[in-house]
Amino acid sequence: MKKRLVLLVLLCCMGAFPALSEEAQEGKVYTIQKADGALITHLSGAPDVGDEYIAGDNGHFRITAVDHTTLTAQAEYLGVYVLPDVSWLDENAQPVTAQRRAVAMYCTHSDESYIPTDGKSSDEDRGGIYDVAEEFKAALEEEGITVYYSDETHHPHDAGAYRRSRATASRLVEQGVDAVMDIHRDGIEDPSSYESTVDGEEMTKVRLLVGRSNQNAASNKAFAAQIKAVADEMYPGLIKDIYIGKGTYNQDLLPQAVLLEFGTYTNDKNEVMASTGHMAQVMNKTLYGGVTGPAPAAETKEENTSAWTGVIWLVVAVVAGVGIYAFVSTGSGKGAMEKMKGTFRELGGSVTGKKKE
Amino acid sequence: MSVGMIVLAVMSVLVLLGVGQRVLDKMQLTDRAALMLMALIFVGGLAPDVVLGRVSLNVGGALVPLGVCVYLLIRADTKKEVGRALLGSVLTAGAVYLLSAVMPDEPEDIVIDPNYVYGLVGGAVAYVLGRSRRGAFICGVLGVILADIAVALVNWGNGISQMLYLGSAGAMDVVVISGFLAVLLSELVGEIMERMARRTRENHDPVYSPVKGGKQK
Repeated sequence: MKKRLVLLVLLCCMGAFPALSEEAQEGKVYTIQKADGALITHLSGAPDVGDEYIAGDNGHFRITAVDHTTLTAQAEYLGVYVLPDVSWLDENAQPVTAQRRAVAMYCTHSDESYIPTDGKSSDEDRGGIYDVAEEFKAALEEEGITVYYSDETHHPHDAGAYRRSRATASRLVEQGVDAVMDIHRDGIEDPSSYESTVDGEEMTKVRLLVGRSNQNAASNKAFAAQIKAVADEMYPGLIKDIYIGKGTYNQDLLPQAVLLEFGTYTNDKNEVMASTGHMAQVMNKTLYGGVTGPAPAAETKEENTSAWTGVIWLVVAVVAGVGIYAFVSTGSGKGAMEKMKGTFRELGGSVTGKKKE
Repeated sequence: MSVGMIVLAVMSVLVLLGVGQRVLDKMQLTDRAALMLMALIFVGGLAPDVVLGRVSLNVGGALVPLGVCVYLLIRADTKKEVGRALLGSVLTAGAVYLLSAVMPDEPEDIVIDPNYVYGLVGGAVAYVLGRSRRGAFICGVLGVILADIAVALVNWGNGISQMLYLGSAGAMDVVVISGFLAVLLSELVGEIMERMARRTRENHDPVYSPVKGGKQK
């Protein structure tokens, strides 16, 4: 028992030290650049090899190397990302009346605020991000969309924040919504990186962030691409870019889930809120097409392809998981196959009630 | 919603159902009882939360897993096993609280998603303490719940009036996921250790029968 306790303490230390060294990177802004050193973008938080980035001009990049000392990351250019076809936007839109339209919205990082207007970047009581979320909610409702909005807080702003907001997101998703949005502000210091003039009005851009570590990753990415495609057509300059990073962000709860970064902490909150009306129109067109009847065929096809990718990903993960376990426990390929067969047979039997207990 | 998305949603539920059933099956429960419990977790997850003041408990995400923990503690073979499971839960809660505080707050900065880290911690603690699958489930579930309570107490102490939601994401909640992950980790480590032990014994004693080998609880 004593031996085990010592081992346990060592185990805790092993777990804590990498975490502490990771913490040193918290809040730091990384510069993502091409191989020749040309700037691509900045990211608050560490990028990871394999992350993808779709720039405002649709240049598509993949992170190939990250240097945590110099806070830089290198990315390879993959070509121009082809956004979904939104030519249907040109059609004469009719108001949707028969279809129920509902989205959900919440804020994981409840402290996020804007220094010029809120006085600080983080408010442990209730951050300025809720003002942005409420403005966005009102704009969506003006579009005729029912918004299931939660003003729950998820303090503190630590690694457990997404775990706490998962409960909120889950309750909202249960309402049968078409999309779920997590409202944030960015942590990039330079306010100009978000400043924009859209439709002759000064406002801040919106960065879309989707995770690539869940079964809905492909669908989430397709959803973000659809939002950008619509926004680029309606309000060029509104969407800053799309970052596809490591993590789940609770986006495994719904295929149409996205994290929206409304400006950064050094932006004026009034300019941030000025973008919510345009963003609401974009979301309305993205989700409902602005026409009565089913969604445009191109969107459904894209959605289907992404979903099937998720299904394949899930099946591969399950079979691989069972396979690894079977191999580890038997130590041979033949034994592993037998154990795998047995596992699936037993499971099938218990579901159908054919297996003896 | 497209056909693909419906299939994806159904598949996700089936995978969780399958994994959960296999996990519960390994803890003094019959196949059918395990399946029934999984159904309860799913259905209970959709039921309205039980609200007690500033605490909100989800039936499927917290009450059913807690009920399983109580059942396992009652059915424990020895008081020592109960003690280990409870000690493991407190240690897991401490580790979860500490990890939440020291890990970076953005998922992209963290090596493993926090939603999964807690289950792995529970499994590791339970295995080291008692080499027990049942203990792992208790550590995974109670550890996360106790850590959530600790965070709420700190918030309330700081004057932040924030609801404490326990297991509110139902079957998809970290409480459930941690319980299952802890057992799976314990199971995987257990299988490796048992196989290594068997091989060592076989090398030293040619007439060794694997039946004599220690089994996990």
